[in-house]
Amino acid sequence: MTDQERKRRHLPLTRRQFIKGATLAGTGAAMAKAGVFDLGTAHAQGVGTTHFLPGPTADYQVPTLCEMCVWRCGVIAKVRNGVIEKLDGNPDHPHSLGNLCTRGQSGLMMTYDPDRVLYPLMRVGERGSGRFRRATWDEALDFTAEQMLRIRDTYGPEAMIFSSTHNLSQPLFENLLNAYGSPNYGTQRSLCFNAMITAHLLTLGIQEPARRYDGMNYIILVGRNLFEGISTSESRQLMERIAAGAHVVALDPRFTKTAAHASEWLPIKPGTDLAFLLALINVIISERLYDSWFVERYTVGFEELAAETAQYTPRWAAAICEIPEATIYRIAHEFAAAKPYAFVHPGWRTSNFINSFQTERAIAVLNALIGICPEQGDCIFADETAVTVGVPPQPPYPRITALRLDGVPWKYPLVPLKLGVFQEIRDAVLSGEPYQARGWFFSRQNPIMSIPDRARTIEAFKKLEFIVSIDIILNDSSWYADVILPEATYLERYDPVHPVGNRVYIRQPVVEPLGEARSALWIYRELGKRLGLGDYFQYVDEEDYIRQQIAPFNVSLEQFKQVGYFEVELPEEGGERRWNTPSGKVELASETLRNAGFPAVPVWEAPPEPPAGRFYLLTGKVGQHTQFATQNNAYLTQVDYHTQDLWLHPAAAAERGIADGDLVRVTSDVGQVEVRVWLTEGIRRDCVYLAPGFGHRSRGLKIAYDRGVSSSDLHVTYTDPISGSQALTQTFVTVERA
Amino acid sequence: MSHEKLTLEEREALRQQTLVKHYTANILTHWFNAFSWLLLLPTGFAILLGKAYPFVPQAWNDLVRNVFGGLAPLIKWHAIWGQIWLFVLVFNVLFGFRKYFIPFAATRMWMDKDDWRWLMIRPLQMFGLMKDKPLPPQDAYNGGQKLYSYLVLIGTFFIGVTGMIMTYSELIPTSLQWLIQWSMPIHFIAVGGVFAGVIIHVYMGAIMPEERQAFFSMFSGKVNGLYAYLHHRKWYERKMAEQAAWEDHYQRQLTAAEAAGGESPAAPEPAPTGGDR
Amino acid sequence: MAEKKRYAFVIDPARCIDCRACLVACRAEWNTPPGQTRIWVHSDGPRGTFPNLTQTYVPAQCHHCADPWCVEACPTGATFKREEDGLVLIDEEACIGCGLCVNACPYQARFRNVQTGKADKCSACFHRLAAGEQPACVATCIGGARMFGDLNDPESTVSKAIAGRAVYRPITDEVNTQPMTLYLTPPDASAVQVNPTRRDPVPAETFWHTIGLPVVKLAIAATFAGQAAAFIIQLLKGENEYEDA
Repeated sequence: MTDQERKRRHLPLTRRQFIKGATLAGTGAAMAKAGVFDLGTAHAQGVGTTHFLPGPTADYQVPTLCEMCVWRCGVIAKVRNGVIEKLDGNPDHPHSLGNLCTRGQSGLMMTYDPDRVLYPLMRVGERGSGRFRRATWDEALDFTAEQMLRIRDTYGPEAMIFSSTHNLSQPLFENLLNAYGSPNYGTQRSLCFNAMITAHLLTLGIQEPARRYDGMNYIILVGRNLFEGISTSESRQLMERIAAGAHVVALDPRFTKTAAHASEWLPIKPGTDLAFLLALINVIISERLYDSWFVERYTVGFEELAAETAQYTPRWAAAICEIPEATIYRIAHEFAAAKPYAFVHPGWRTSNFINSFQTERAIAVLNALIGICPEQGDCIFADETAVTVGVPPQPPYPRITALRLDGVPWKYPLVPLKLGVFQEIRDAVLSGEPYQARGWFFSRQNPIMSIPDRARTIEAFKKLEFIVSIDIILNDSSWYADVILPEATYLERYDPVHPVGNRVYIRQPVVEPLGEARSALWIYRELGKRLGLGDYFQYVDEEDYIRQQIAPFNVSLEQFKQVGYFEVELPEEGGERRWNTPSGKVELASETLRNAGFPAVPVWEAPPEPPAGRFYLLTGKVGQHTQFATQNNAYLTQVDYHTQDLWLHPAAAAERGIADGDLVRVTSDVGQVEVRVWLTEGIRRDCVYLAPGFGHRSRGLKIAYDRGVSSSDLHVTYTDPISGSQALTQTFVTVERA
Repeated sequence: MSHEKLTLEEREALRQQTLVKHYTANILTHWFNAFSWLLLLPTGFAILLGKAYPFVPQAWNDLVRNVFGGLAPLIKWHAIWGQIWLFVLVFNVLFGFRKYFIPFAATRMWMDKDDWRWLMIRPLQMFGLMKDKPLPPQDAYNGGQKLYSYLVLIGTFFIGVTGMIMTYSELIPTSLQWLIQWSMPIHFIAVGGVFAGVIIHVYMGAIMPEERQAFFSMFSGKVNGLYAYLHHRKWYERKMAEQAAWEDHYQRQLTAAEAAGGESPAAPEPAPTGGDR
Repeated sequence: MAEKKRYAFVIDPARCIDCRACLVACRAEWNTPPGQTRIWVHSDGPRGTFPNLTQTYVPAQCHHCADPWCVEACPTGATFKREEDGLVLIDEEACIGCGLCVNACPYQARFRNVQTGKADKCSACFHRLAAGEQPACVATCIGGARMFGDLNDPESTVSKAIAGRAVYRPITDEVNTQPMTLYLTPPDASAVQVNPTRRDPVPAETFWHTIGLPVVKLAIAATFAGQAAAFIIQLLKGENEYEDA
């Protein structure tokens, strides 16, 4: 048995290997080396002490970057006999600080997943039958290029949809689709953080505000579940603040692990966080608790904001969000008193209700009111600074005139072009409006699991003429593809470099790829050549690409690979703080919004409520999985116990005659699932919760197949007209005993 | 025994007789077994450890473990030699089954009335009691030896089985873990039992002068007639009868051949002069 | 020999977020077979009624007790307490997988590895310690709930963590093995692998101690004494040749 097979089957090292690979770890004593006991050290228990225990040690270590989520922690991979044995957090990386989360620790099992696609596959059966044959790279790439060219020549490049998710080689994927000439690019963003980013762009001109924790004494988390939606360094910083005695308020209809650690848990009614936040603004303005220096100097629209929020009193809010008036009033005072060491967390996945955009606006405004950049000290929120690295030369992209299928900007004028509205693309495939899409090329993505209303997404996939996927395992969407191009895992390949602050980090292969898996850089270039777009991929190989990226800096690739990163001196930022908004200031009132026909200041928008007998269907991460990608990981499935059940309050269960552990039928307007129920006091009576990512239907995933149920079966598609964000919690369900 | 009936001449005549008591294969097996015990017993005791098993002094544990370079090598060597020991014994029994084991078992194992009586008298005699009481006649092995053979056979069986279980414990699923758990005390008790027998065996075989012939026979395979007559009368008499019968038979053949006037018959099988039967 | 270390785990349940990264880190480090684990994080549902709830998560592993019952139970000494630092370790090559230690541990910290057939448990990643690293679970702990170090070193993480704080040992009146895990909050009484329970020895073990050992000792002592007496008598009375018999 090879070591790879051993790792795949979770088998320990054989004893011979154990000793072969061993140094004198653990005992250290020279006596151990000689294999002789030291008579003088016999223990009181009557035990000789100098035992020779080898322990699993490594042949060599490689610094690289994690890709189990998009946080990209630094990893040190330990290798023995050509097999990755262990991943450790790199203490020299600001995102890991020496730690790795659950998923990061399990990363090597992605490489040694027994269900990996190791050779290019081409479909031979009906689409969705899962019948593929092994093909050569040339065959698969030639066929893909031929189909893409046929679609472009027959229907125009816009008939080809491209989609991908946050990753380091995404710029190359975007190169491919821009050069090909398609405007249709889907990302996960509208299912995730559109509301947060759009609101912060419009208010602060910052799209992903980096959070600063040091010294913070008062933190309000609006649904941000940092101890389950883990970003290693940020989760750690929050815990450091909690341990240091900071006051943390957790707004969540569910008693999450973050709520368990918060100073207070406010089980707010879903969708009404906006009312709570507006009431805080009301108190802070009406009682002049804000930072007047900052407001006068750096903001516009204060008067309008004050006028609008005058009506949103704590009493008004209490009736809506079901948090006592006194609590709201107290928190407003405490929060303002803690300034500038206080902030409301902007959140991350904020695709909850159609009013989520307003919620995010209220957060941005609230933070601005208490002085996001205090007179002395750094700004609490700022865009992450990063070094600009080199790029290979390339010709300009062709001009694209076709409408975007996702409705940006002709239907969603304020959605940033790069965010898009993913779920609209699926609907456009089904409706054929404004034109019929014919092909779909997705990389590192699983739209069938991630877009709400899975049945419709599958329908859309079946309507297409050609589907190609770049994947590591046969995920649910690849199951419907015509061609699957196997990608090397993050531990087997190079990716474009990753600048963080004043450092540039490298992802590099730790071991050779299994089978014929190849890096995305290689795949894009090979495909580009066959599409006649070779000029957009001017690099010989992966190392050449990275050499061109680091050309501006005085560092060799060998050095870079050895250390894992290099540092660059960033120019000092000087002068008056400028905000990247049309007015150059923090826009408490936004002219952009007003001009597009939306309210300029945050306003109350009532979210829809479930009719009698129905529940809000809550979603939210568990700490053991990343979205829809890790459910086949053999290590994670060992520790994701208690994550696949439906949460239900015992009182609501009693009304329906449901007991703990019963199988229940959950029905929404678009689908139905049967799932086991967990009765807990930790959820509001009007809510149920189902963790996302389970219930895979691809038989190519032996572990994940049919394990748990998918909330994508239940989610109804609703899109926020301002941010394009999907409203995931606006799905209402009935629950009955199955 | 009625040795007083023997005259000096008779004694001398008997002393001149030589009987084969043990086959070479059995002699080798015996000493191999003895040597194995010499290795396995001290190493085995040195494996046992812990406050809960205060059987041997800590110093002994330390000493033996040091000699072998640690506990794990000690266990390994104990297991390896144990398996060689077991293999040789099982091999000998299997391949010598018809030639050695069956006749051995037939005369050695069966306890008759005389054996039991011997067992009641002989131990007391060792302490100087019942000196005048005559011992009943014995076959090739006396009652004590017969009883000891049961002990050794059964003990060896349990030691072997439990030893193999412990050696290959990795292959035993946890649901059958009780097998390993029971193997340890059974192994221990079996060894202890046999060892208790060994103490008597060694004393009587090697130290006690009355059985000195038996001790030397374990090297040469032979005993003299006097010893056989005095200590194993039944066996001696059986051997003599067999000898006489064989001589008779040979004589008849010779006579018949002479009468026919032909040549002498081909040399017949030699006389069954001894061995463990 | 250098100055002795006194290794201990210090666990702050208030900092545990139940992310289970430690469980995966341990699994990856030791290739623990599926379905088995060397370490745990205990949680038993939220307590109280909505909305007044509390919940803590209690990490646990082998406590590397100062008075380890497992070491006492081991018939071979395959499990031992390391003199120089107090770690309770298993010499797999000397282990015959009998499981007496598994049964003896009042914390259920041990199990029989289904693949190796050997006793298995937390070894505090002794090989990582030797390389100057922290145990895998401690190194990866995001919340900082798991800490490990030398109590004899006042500068160690654990010494600093417990300085001036009340610490709780998971012991009862009945069971005190002097566990070397110090909790910074009182461990939840219901967490089985945190709090100890004494278990009866397995039947074979009882048999061994109550019958096996005394019988064998008696048998050997009796035969030896008998033969010795005979020998003395023989010496006193002078030697008899067989021919005199």
